[in-house]
This record gives sequence, C-alpha cells and structure tokens, in this order.
Amino acid sequence: MRVFLGMSGGVDSAVSAHLLKEQGHEVVGVYMKNWSKNLPGMKCPWAEDLADAKRVAVKLGIDFRVFDFEQEYKQKVVDYMLAEYQKGNTPNPDIMCNQEIKFKLFAETAFEQGAEAIATGHYAQTDGQNLLKARDENKDQTYFLYRISSEIIPKTIFPVGDMLKPDVKALAEKLGYSVARKAESMGVCFVGEANMRDFLAEFIETKPGEIRELETDAVLGTHDGAIFYTLGQRHGLNLKAGLPYYVVKKDMAQNIVYVSRDLNSLKLWTDKIQLKDIIVRGDDDGQNLQARIRHRAPLVDASLNRETGELHFAEAQKSLTPGQSVVLYRGNICLGGGIIA
Amino acid sequence: MIYLDHAAATPLSEKAMKAMLPYFAEKFFNPSAAYLPAVELRREYEDAKDRIAHVIGAKGADLVMTSGATESINLAFSTVAAGAEVLISAVEHQAVVENAKRSGNFQTIAVDQHGRVLLEDFARKLSPQTQFVSVCLACSELGTVQPIADIARLIAAERERRAFAGERTPLYFHCDASQGLGLLEAKVNRLGVDLLTLNAAKIYGPKGIGALYVGRSVRLTPLTVGGGQEMGLRSGTENVAATMAFATAIEEAEKHISFERKRLSQLKMRLMKSLADLPNIKFLGSPKTQLANFVSLCLPGLDAERLIFALEDRGVYLSTGAACAASKGIKSPTLRAIGLTDDEIAGSLRITMGKLNDEQNIEEAARHIREVVTSEWARIMKGRNEQ
Repeated sequence: MRVFLGMSGGVDSAVSAHLLKEQGHEVVGVYMKNWSKNLPGMKCPWAEDLADAKRVAVKLGIDFRVFDFEQEYKQKVVDYMLAEYQKGNTPNPDIMCNQEIKFKLFAETAFEQGAEAIATGHYAQTDGQNLLKARDENKDQTYFLYRISSEIIPKTIFPVGDMLKPDVKALAEKLGYSVARKAESMGVCFVGEANMRDFLAEFIETKPGEIRELETDAVLGTHDGAIFYTLGQRHGLNLKAGLPYYVVKKDMAQNIVYVSRDLNSLKLWTDKIQLKDIIVRGDDDGQNLQARIRHRAPLVDASLNRETGELHFAEAQKSLTPGQSVVLYRGNICLGGGIIA
Repeated sequence: MIYLDHAAATPLSEKAMKAMLPYFAEKFFNPSAAYLPAVELRREYEDAKDRIAHVIGAKGADLVMTSGATESINLAFSTVAAGAEVLISAVEHQAVVENAKRSGNFQTIAVDQHGRVLLEDFARKLSPQTQFVSVCLACSELGTVQPIADIARLIAAERERRAFAGERTPLYFHCDASQGLGLLEAKVNRLGVDLLTLNAAKIYGPKGIGALYVGRSVRLTPLTVGGGQEMGLRSGTENVAATMAFATAIEEAEKHISFERKRLSQLKMRLMKSLADLPNIKFLGSPKTQLANFVSLCLPGLDAERLIFALEDRGVYLSTGAACAASKGIKSPTLRAIGLTDDEIAGSLRITMGKLNDEQNIEEAARHIREVVTSEWARIMKGRNEQ
C-alpha cells in the first residue's frame, strides 16, 4: 500500500517509517511544517526536526516531502487557542492540531497525492473501525486523538501503537537512528507547557488585575493577566499565606482571579459537568463509560447524557477546567469525548 | 570519516594548538596590566599580530583582532554612512550581503557563469557617489578567485579622478579573504585593498579569532567601546591564546601554499575525473580561476540534501548550496547569480578538500558519491515506473 507517514523528526515516527517499510508498504515520509517562527526565549526547532526526519527517510531509501501548513496551523490551531484563552478557557491545541491538521489537512493532501492510507507515530491503535488505546498504557495518546473523524480511522495506521515506548527507543538505537535519544517534545509541539505563558504574552495584551478570596471577596494580591491562570492552579500565585490557595474562578470581564484555600470548595470539586462539541463515534448509549479528564489521568467511571451533554462522574473530580477535553472510553475503545463548557 | 568540507571549518593544527596552550593557565595575565609578566605578555601579543600582518604585507598596528570574519566584515562596513552607495559582487558571503543591505543603497556587480566578477559591469556601476566596494578574495561556494587587483585599479583611477575634480566623497575597497588564504598570496599592496578580512578558522587556526586589516586612510566606527583596546577599534580584553595560534596557523599556511596548491590540484583532478560520467553532472567554476581545493558540481534531478544525508551515513561529510533545511530553505544567491536553474541548484554539492584528504580517501569518497548517486537515481526511476 502507498502510505504517507507524518514524520516529526522524533523517534516514534522514525521507527514507524522503518516498520511500515518492513511490512512491505511503499512509504512516503512527510514533514508538516506548521510553525517556524522564533519567539523570545523559544527557538523553533523546525529546521533541525525536518533534517532529522529526512535523515531517517534517506536511510530507509523512502520518498520524503514537506507539506507547508503554516498558514492553516496559525488559523485553525493558534488563533483558536488564543481566542479560547481570551475567553478565560484553557484549550488544548494538540487536540485541535490532530483534528484539523494531522488527520484532516494532512490526510486530504496525502490522498490527493496518491496515498492509500496515512500513518503517524502516535501511540494508539485501530481495529479498522474504532480508535483503540495503545498497548503502552503509559504512552497512550488517544486523549489527543479523540476528535479525529470516523472516516479517517479505517485509513490510518499507527505503526508503534502495539509497542512499548522502551522497545521503540531500543529499536531506534539498533537501527542507528540519530533521533533515538532525542528529547521528547511536550505540549504544543513547539511551545511546551513551561513556555505557554511567554507564548501567550507574545500574542495577547494583558493587564494586571486583582486576586480575590472567593469566600470573603478580600483582595489578596495581584496577577499579571487572568488568562494566565488555570482553575485548580496552586503555584505561581505569589500570595503570602500559610495554607495554599487554589484558583477557583476567573472573571474575564473584570480581569479578577478568585482563589480559595478550601480544598472542598464546590467550585473545585464536582461530580457532573456540561460538555460541548461532543463527538461520539458509533451509536453508544453513553452509559457506564470510563472518562479521562486530562492526558494520563486515571480513568474514572462516568455516564454521558447524550441528549443534554451532561456527564456524571461516579466520584467527584477536582479542577475541571473549561476548554479542556474529557475523553470517553468503553473498554479499549476511545469513543470520543467533549470539551468542558 | 572522510571530511570534504574544509571551506566550512578546518581542524586546529597541532602546532597552532601547542602555540595557544601556555596562554590559558600560565600566561593568563591581562595584557593591559602594569606588572612585568603582563607587559611581557603584551609584547608577545603584539609580536603575534606583527607575524599575522607580515603574511599580508602589513604591520601589526594595521590589524584589529576580532572574533572572526563576520565581525571583521561588520567592522569594515562601519565606515559606510547610512545611505552611502555600496557595491558588492553577486557571490558574497551572507555577512557582506546583510551589511550591504543595511546601507540601504547597494548594488551587486554581475558575475560570469563561473562566478567571476565582470569588470565591465563593475566599471559601469562604479559612480562618483560610490563609497564602498566589497568583493571576496575567493567565493565561498564556488571557490572562484576574484580579480581583486583589477578592481583595485579601477577604484584607484576613480579616486584620482575625484582628487583632481576636488570631489571629497571617500571610496574604500574591502576584500573578504576568508576563503583561499592558505592557497593564494594575499598581500594588501598587491591586492590594492583598504580593508582585508582574515579568519583563522579556515586555515587550521582556532575558531573565534579573526582580524581586519585597516588601511591608514580608513576611518572606522568601533562596534564595541570600553577599555580602548586595538587602538580603540575593538574594546575588550585581547584573546591572546587564539591570537598566538592564529599567528602560527597563518605562517604555516603561507609556508605551504605552493605545496598544498599542487597537491590539492592533483586530488581535484582525480576526483573530477572519477565523477565525470555521473548522469547530468555539471562542474561549476572554471579550472583556471577556481581554488585548488574546490570541486563544485550540480546533479540536476537529484536532491542534494538527500545525497548529503546518505553520505553522512557512510561517514562522508560535505556541503550543499541548495535550499536545504540547514539553510532554512533559502536558496543560494550565488548559484542563482551564475544562472543555474532551480533543478541545478537543488542538486548542487560543494566539496572542499584540505589537510584531511589524500589520494586514498579521495578515491574512497568518489566511490561513495558514485554509489549514493546511483542508488538515488534507482529509487527515483523505480518510483516513476510504479506510477
């Protein structure tokens, strides 16, 4: 089969290329150029990543192409992310990137250029119809993939989905890939969670505002922009107080961040939430599912009211952040999920 | 390893390394200090500068030591006032191009198909307003040696004309001698330049040290101010160790010019001969005007970056002028200037030989290049047949 493989310059897609070739596929490696801008303190490694990906393609003797999606990535992922932050939400740009870029635009472009299937180095599996969790539970990336369309799943191969990460790395070493020991990219491919604050500051003008205690409305301190704070956040508040305070509410219009030291505050713990933009593949009734409220969080029992979009947890959950995704599983199958309203 | 990228970097010679070692922990003093060991160190430093200057027919006091060619070029351009008319050749290093752009008023001098400056074009563009001309000693991508002395003669004539006409517009000539220093004589008087950029890193000296020869009529504006070192043109404590090594390296290079030129020419002939029958191959530059260690070529239809990665996998290291990731996708203006097509640029390779090469490894390199090119063509043809 003629397979177009997204190659990021990392170890997982490198090993994927090798596996696909070994399985007899005609592989075309593709580097998606989504971002190339350097920002203060953040050097964009696209050129190095592209070279790393190409190096592996050359070693395998496979075709290699570059798809330039910078404009679309900016529109569909970065602009979405910035708009969500401005609304006071905490979006997940990786989920958007998979939905709009990797499993849509990339796939469409690949099929136009003669692909019969696409592949990526994600840790996930399919049975030809359903999206399934990866064999390596630790590395499972279905949380980020839950929004990909039902149509693309049968045409997608995840070559490392049935492997354990250490085995992938060991194989890369054995094959002599220079990327075998490359550090993993985290968060928004180029930003990383640690730098999100700086990244936002580049694009969004922010103003300092007050931090108030929820219960008393007392002003406890100041912050440098409400968008930088996430519900449940405990660090970086710089409040001189004995017990830790948690962010429990944000008033974007007034630019006020509310905090509380009451761990049991109802604002922080909840057993039901409203989801929006829900995707459920197949005709599942939504009852007695497992839900994941963030990447690598343990699964919790829950039921989805498919009519109202309300999700009930068997046990109350802490810090459910608007904009973040809840992903739903039935056993090994990733059914879909929704965005916390 | 077979290293074929001597135009990018050269290994530090043993003698140069030895020359710098005493200046890290033993003679570590600040050459500006008052006590005798420091004063002695200053003398050694000034002596090393004299030795470097001697190779280009100048005095130590004519040199400003810098961190390398890029800084030297920037310092040379500091004499260019905003809006002043600048002329550069079409095959200059990026450091020259970017500095010329800053003037806001520059033109490029056309080159022939080998990348050699067309004197007619230069004569036509040299105007009563021209204030600064910058042309490399040898082009870093093609190895083409430029007619520096001829350019200097035209500049001298224009200066004379201005003097007689009572025009006071200054006119300076800068030459970037980063490439070719170990293979060409570069005496400032014979070249007729006012400013000459030198770099240790391409002649088996250390990285991070270079020099700018400054003719006595030229007025520069320092890029760094402070303690007033280098006659006020480059403040900051002198890099004594690197300067000592630079002196050793440049003397060594000068001593071996004719030997190396002959030896490398033979290797070059051998390499070109054994690659000559590759499909569509085109050698760039003319044997008459190309540095002895350069083999520039293009293989239209192939992706040079793939060839480089495939060769890297075999331990053969060379460079490309193509729009590769390493150059952030920017196509070489030099290769454009000599009229290459996009396909030719995409398939262009630069092989630069030096001390790390001999008959045996050049023969091996040729074999690797042939094999890699053949297998790339096989892959491409297979893909075409399947479609």
